Amino acid sequence: VTDPRRPCPLAVAHGLRGHLLPAVGGRLAETAALEALLEAYLGGRLGPGERRHLARLGCEYCRRCAPAAAPCPSLLRLVGRRFAELHAAVAGLPVASSRVLPGIVLRRDFAAYCPVRGDLRAVLVTEPLRPALSAPGVEFLVDSEGRYQASQRWIARRTEALMKHFQSNDVKLLLSSVKQEELVIYYAKLYGVSVVECLSSEEVALICEITGVSPYEPFGDNTHREITESAVATFCQPLLLGSKRCVHIGFTSVCAFQPHCLILCGPVEGVNEQHAAALQGAFTMLQQLFKTVYQREECKADDESQNEASDVCCWPSSATQKQLVIANAACNSSRVSECQLKVPRGETETQLTDLDLQGSENPARVQTDLQKPSNAISHIKEFSVATDGDDSSIDVQKPHAKCEHGGDVHKNYESDSLVYSQKNCSTAALAACNADTDIACERLGVGKDLEKTSCNVVPFKHEKSCVSVAQNYSNCLIEVGSVLPVGGYFEILLHYYIQYYAKQLQQSEVTVVAHVVADALLSIPKSLYRTREQDSFTKFYLRAVNALRRNQPLPVNERGLESVYCKYQLVISVLHCVTELLSIDLIIGIKRPLQKIEDYDSEDDF
Amino acid sequence: MSRLEAKKPPLFISEPLNKDVVSQSLSLLSGILKSCYGPAGRLKQLHNGVGGYVCTTSQSSAILSRLSVSHPVLSVLTASVQSHISRFSDCGLFTAILCCSLIENFKSLNVASCTVIKISKHLLGLCMDYLKSEACGCRVAVDFSSVETLLCLVRSVLTSKPACMLNKSEVDHLTTLILKAFMFTVPCHVETDAVLGKCIIVPVKGGRVADSTVLPGLLIETPEIKLTKPLTVKRTCSNMIKIALFCVSMSGDCFNHEEGTVTVHHGISLEMSELDQLLNVGKQLVNDEVGLVVCQKVIHPFLKQYLKENHVIAVDRAGLSLMEPLSQMTGSKPIASIHLLSPSCYGNLKDVCLESFASKHFVHLIPKDAVICSLILCNRNETAWDELKRACETAEHVLQLTIKEPLALLGGGCTETHLASYVRHKSGSLSTSSLNDIDCSRAQYQLVADGFCRSLESVACSLNHDDGEILTDMVYGHCWFVPSGFPSVSNWSDLVSKCGCRINGNTENLNWRLLQGQFGSPVIQGCPRALGKADFLTLDCFAAKCSGLQVALETANLILDLSYVIEDQN
Repeated sequence: VTDPRRPCPLAVAHGLRGHLLPAVGGRLAETAALEALLEAYLGGRLGPGERRHLARLGCEYCRRCAPAAAPCPSLLRLVGRRFAELHAAVAGLPVASSRVLPGIVLRRDFAAYCPVRGDLRAVLVTEPLRPALSAPGVEFLVDSEGRYQASQRWIARRTEALMKHFQSNDVKLLLSSVKQEELVIYYAKLYGVSVVECLSSEEVALICEITGVSPYEPFGDNTHREITESAVATFCQPLLLGSKRCVHIGFTSVCAFQPHCLILCGPVEGVNEQHAAALQGAFTMLQQLFKTVYQREECKADDESQNEASDVCCWPSSATQKQLVIANAACNSSRVSECQLKVPRGETETQLTDLDLQGSENPARVQTDLQKPSNAISHIKEFSVATDGDDSSIDVQKPHAKCEHGGDVHKNYESDSLVYSQKNCSTAALAACNADTDIACERLGVGKDLEKTSCNVVPFKHEKSCVSVAQNYSNCLIEVGSVLPVGGYFEILLHYYIQYYAKQLQQSEVTVVAHVVADALLSIPKSLYRTREQDSFTKFYLRAVNALRRNQPLPVNERGLESVYCKYQLVISVLHCVTELLSIDLIIGIKRPLQKIEDYDSEDDF
Repeated sequence: MSRLEAKKPPLFISEPLNKDVVSQSLSLLSGILKSCYGPAGRLKQLHNGVGGYVCTTSQSSAILSRLSVSHPVLSVLTASVQSHISRFSDCGLFTAILCCSLIENFKSLNVASCTVIKISKHLLGLCMDYLKSEACGCRVAVDFSSVETLLCLVRSVLTSKPACMLNKSEVDHLTTLILKAFMFTVPCHVETDAVLGKCIIVPVKGGRVADSTVLPGLLIETPEIKLTKPLTVKRTCSNMIKIALFCVSMSGDCFNHEEGTVTVHHGISLEMSELDQLLNVGKQLVNDEVGLVVCQKVIHPFLKQYLKENHVIAVDRAGLSLMEPLSQMTGSKPIASIHLLSPSCYGNLKDVCLESFASKHFVHLIPKDAVICSLILCNRNETAWDELKRACETAEHVLQLTIKEPLALLGGGCTETHLASYVRHKSGSLSTSSLNDIDCSRAQYQLVADGFCRSLESVACSLNHDDGEILTDMVYGHCWFVPSGFPSVSNWSDLVSKCGCRINGNTENLNWRLLQGQFGSPVIQGCPRALGKADFLTLDCFAAKCSGLQVALETANLILDLSYVIEDQN
């Protein structure tokens, strides 16, 4: 009944955050960190013999696709999305023969190949280049033999003229998404134009994305106009992959992505598929590394009348809109009415603003405090919360506190205030369950409140202050690029801090749930250590917990790293799923499959 | 309506390797493959009880493609070996036997599969580093300035396929032919990126092997042109023959490429118009002094007649597969239009003549620079011919791989025993830091290394199909075969004369030991030594064997790592 997700952000805010290691930015550029992440990820998907090799390969691929900088999210997104076109598999060769090649590989042979030295221009076409006498619905009337022959000759001449035109424009490569007539291939060979046919729409899209060109339209009156829509390639040659001849093109990129192709070798087809899927997953995982979790307080209510005071505190340092969406992704958006703390700052979009918040303290003073990154001293200010809904009950909280907290040590917060807010929540939660609706209210207690407040004040100033906030951890739970060693450390930490948090509560229900969640988390390291010798889990657990109690760093002997964002989202999703399952009281079998109800826009749905 | 069937639940097999069915099928497969291995390998006859085609073979490519394996674990193995064969043609049996032995040997060890995999990867790394190093004692550099080593390579391929049914002189004859054919495909004037030509095998089934021959250029079968009249071909001023190559049909049919409709008025015949156009093409060909017209598809008899009257030879139905070599050989570009002919499409030939082999008539196109050649391959019956063709293709592929990486490995089991000695020697002196890196104990490492070596040695042992003993020496680590019928207590040096690869004559006491069935066998004190050169070696393809070794181990690891097989039965 109590949302089991509740303890998680608190646990992270309370202590886990202090253990996170940064990997992005400075460190992802380092091959070692990237390799450690990849190897740990692949370790769960591939046999023990191949993971290190493939991790190195994935690393090399990232490095070569982004030679200047660390791989950025947009690049990883492109690699993840286009991975099917960016790799080629060869069965029958040892895994060690896998390699990274510059350029892209199209898995078909040339229809016509004319060797070229040096740079060349390439044109994309999506329609047959041989003009047709008639088209569907168009009738071609033959009234004399001579005219028929003349039109046949015209077709040949026209095709020839087009190839001549390509040649004079220095176009040496024709990439066609459709099969071209023999005649086109013939003239292409005569005029030194290589032709690759039957490109898939994905391959065309990839080429467009890399080179920035759009397909060339040959017909109309532009046969003598200069061809502008052409891509530049540094080479174009046949490549023998196994026993198949493929097309290998070194496109010059117009984006940050330097095109490279991954050649995956393995003894059987299935192994290659597995490796490809694992690497694609790894690139998707790396994207998650660039996401953050922001603190928020959320309240879910189905009914307007039961609208509780709720807020989402989301202060991204940049790209506000996008990350807002990410932060909200875990919520059940259809049932959640999220409200954001509104701050008098123009560019911060808040669609669901119900609350108005006025910081009463002098913002300048806060600003100076925030600029001490080593010990983030924040001030809780008096603020009033008011919903502007019609019938909604107004919940005003006035926690008066001034606390200090440096790093991950939380000593001085006022428990009264915490209890107050928790009580406040639980009554709401109880009310919600009585009404058979799903209301859950998350309060981050004092530890969070003070950070929230500090965020609220900062935007009074200007952009710079936002950055400084981001730097001293004051607004996000999980920073961009936070990682932890693999091997159950995340679970142990979360377990420890959830229990730590639960101890502070005097309220039975949340405490019970928190303990259940904390214990359930241990099942992961337990099963990880099951295959090793006896008692190894107990040893690991005691070592870790003792270190945490003594405020020492965790004893880590794992090389691999994992993204904390991924882990955190996973735990939240699992708990969400568990909540849903536990709320089901009846399963009804039906004869016919359920029809998926499409969501229509109101315009279509007159 | 398709019949609706209730979905079956998936079949779920845990720990598949511990199942009796799997280990029995594995040892059966391993037994079949081992019995095929080597020059003395036993033949397998594959046929369907219903009747039809019969295949007698000992080649892995033929057996594995026809054998249906029941268990998914085994299909991983066969798929893996087949992929290897499609890449390298050679060393398929080696890969398969090694893979089976590795699985059997590793499975019997009481070591966690994860540890076995890590250790075996390390052992493979040792082997590969050794094989790629200059110090490697089981590899030979291939010198392309002399034919000796190349002949050895080809001969080893041919002799290891007993189902070709060749006697010694036939082997010698074919060895020379294959090498000659390969030499034809190497271009004389090499620019920056050389492309090998092609050797086309022309089947003549029912002839004698000794009638096989190799010719530069291409043969196109032409039943119509009779040998009775000598061929007169029109030549250009430079005494070459101009050739026009067509890849469109010249049959005069109106092909409608259009998606829409073409309406023809009454009294107009498009066929006549097409014929007129064909005649125009014919006229232009004659004017352009073309001496030979080859069409991939059909030429209209009317045009054929016209060309014949004008002393132009017309050959049609050449087929798609010949188009690329034809174009490569003559420098002509296949013409795809009968409406516009560009003179730059024509190619050149040195000569054209007629040949006939065993009641088949061919037009023989002789190019100026031959990178294309035809191997007329004869054998007594269809089954033996098929086997011989596979052997010839393998040999050609081996030569192609060798020109890329001019190395060869000692055959006759010597590479396997030599590598095993090397690994035994190296694994004894492994540093503690390496053990920590692998995360295993020294005892575990020794156990796995021993299993690995025994697997390698069992491949060498598979060469022997009689009762005789197999020995390995303690100096060079080569493989020696003792003929059957001698008691095992005899003085070995009296019985053995040459090692498996024939590099090593029995000149000194090499301290032999039995290869099979001994545990705790003494290990060579130093690194196995390399030998000098000798003639008539048995050699294996370096690239194929190296890759086979790696693929065998990777496949074995893959199979050992399986804990569950979930099979969809629908």
